[in-house]
Amino acid sequence: MRHWLLPLILLAEIAFFTALSGQSFSSTADAVSYFRSYFADLLCQSAPVLLIAFGMTIVLMTAGIDLSVGSMVALVACVMASFPAGPEFWWTAVPLGLALVLLLGATNGALIAWLDVPPIITTLGTMILYRGLCFVVMGDLEKSPFLSVPGYEWLGQVSGAALLLIFTFGLAGFWLKRSRWLREILMLGGNPIAARYAGIPVSRRLIQTYGIVGLLAFLAALTFTARNSSVSASSLTGLELQVIVAVVLGGTRVQGGAGSMLGTFYGVLIIAVMDEGLRGAAQWGSRNLPFKISHLEYILLGMLLIAGVWLNTRERSTAKTPPSK
Amino acid sequence: MTHGRLSPSLRQRLLFLLAGNFLLLVGIAITMKQGGSFAEVLTRCGPNVAPVVLAGLGMTGIICTGAIDLSIASIIVVSGTVFGILVQRQWPPLLCFVACIGTALLLSAANGLLIRKLRLPAIIITLAGLALYRGVALVLADVSIPGFGGSIDIQRDEYHAPGKQFATLILLGTLGSALIWEWFAVTPRRWLALGSSEESCRLAGLNPHAIRQSAFVVGGLFLGIAAVIYVTQIQFIEPARLALGFELQVIGAVILGGTNIFGGEGSYAGTALGALFLYFTGQWMTYAGVSPYFQEAITGALIIGVIGLDCALHRKRKRMEELA
Repeated sequence: MRHWLLPLILLAEIAFFTALSGQSFSSTADAVSYFRSYFADLLCQSAPVLLIAFGMTIVLMTAGIDLSVGSMVALVACVMASFPAGPEFWWTAVPLGLALVLLLGATNGALIAWLDVPPIITTLGTMILYRGLCFVVMGDLEKSPFLSVPGYEWLGQVSGAALLLIFTFGLAGFWLKRSRWLREILMLGGNPIAARYAGIPVSRRLIQTYGIVGLLAFLAALTFTARNSSVSASSLTGLELQVIVAVVLGGTRVQGGAGSMLGTFYGVLIIAVMDEGLRGAAQWGSRNLPFKISHLEYILLGMLLIAGVWLNTRERSTAKTPPSK
Repeated sequence: MTHGRLSPSLRQRLLFLLAGNFLLLVGIAITMKQGGSFAEVLTRCGPNVAPVVLAGLGMTGIICTGAIDLSIASIIVVSGTVFGILVQRQWPPLLCFVACIGTALLLSAANGLLIRKLRLPAIIITLAGLALYRGVALVLADVSIPGFGGSIDIQRDEYHAPGKQFATLILLGTLGSALIWEWFAVTPRRWLALGSSEESCRLAGLNPHAIRQSAFVVGGLFLGIAAVIYVTQIQFIEPARLALGFELQVIGAVILGGTNIFGGEGSYAGTALGALFLYFTGQWMTYAGVSPYFQEAITGALIIGVIGLDCALHRKRKRMEELA
């Protein structure tokens, strides 16, 4: 995709929805303060999706897919929620959650790398399995110990979310872009057999990749619970599709071998802005449309995805892209 | 898609599932408490398993070509909404059923057409369809039903006939014709050819794009029948929540039935057995008194277990092919 297209779509979207929500500015300072709180909200709201999307980008680069992310985030949040709140939460629930989620991610990776189960099937199975475990842990309850933990709230605020995002997208993204590790990932996504012959430890790289998704799922669980304060066994269903749509919209190929972290970042924000904007335009919609405007979200999401990927493949029409799957 | 000899791996999977289903039935018979009737388990099986099996038949063909359809649940939602709207307008039952099937057929064909014209991967198009079609259904309901409150109430009995009275009959009839068609017709074999190698397909003078689209059209027909049974079994059609996660259930049954997720291998019989296996597992867990909270986890572990074992058994052969 042309590198300026995604930010342009994003800006156009923000302008359009701001106009639609009926917001009027009396002065520049007014507008600045409005947009400051707007972006702060946007960042906090989409922090979990952004974090997961970072991992999903790497997974799609390996020509894999991870459908279990939503269940994984929910499971770790459920397990952490079963611990009593209080300062000891930091050295009981948090390390345990981290260990658990690394295990969950590595399980995906091991099944894919060692047993040769295709990623889409493995993670489809673990998605059901991990979601089932959520119900085993939680039953029908909804628990909310998180905000009683001292210092936990900070994770859901702008500074906390921004720090985590700078850490992943800024530092890790910057390092990855230059790293040998990511080149190996891209190569094994482009052609796993060639990668094996080139001496790349394919199995180890795959397990690392899915382990990283686990790690990011943990961070996402932290930001999600800090912001939403409660969790139930059916939290975050459908997160995986939202994430995949965002990543693909950002220009990462599902066939593997290519991808961009910055594109993913824009992709997530485009969807978040649309989501938020449609909510803000509810009043305008109820006056002018014969249907609820929030229903448009699904339709726009679908069309955006097709349009984005189509533009993306047209760009690369010289390269051979297999149309199936 | 079982023409000629079954491949050894597919035959192994079919035998495995047959044995598994038999064992599960034995398990159900043993764990059943006094007063429960085994015949009732069998008669209830038809209506319950029919939507998954029928949608699975369509999905099998699509996956055999190397494509996938993630939008089937949303297509069912649109079909159901169209059905509900027509029922509200007092159309005769038969016409409503036909419209329901027609909608599914149309949308599935549209998926195929988009994939063909835009040359995009099926997973992308149908992922978009998953969101798009549900939105279409919601808008459609809002626009055509004044004061739409989120669900459409289907009250009269004649509108429930396919799901409640004739489900088993429709299932057996469709499955039977599908198996015969699979055995004798050339189209399913073309799907397999396409799934095995698109390049060879083209070199042999076949049109890969047309073949892939035919899988979506046939899939749409099966999906339409599944949709009719699905939406006539329930009292309230809620476009926002109807059939959530149905596509995963169906894909689970299809791959459990031995269809290769990358295409080129699969059978209708396997899909039917796979769906039965998942259904009987749930039933057996209920009869054995397994807590409902554990059932989903066990089902997930089972899918991973069966397929993981199968993949591990074929791992060596696959590696050898890779090296060749």
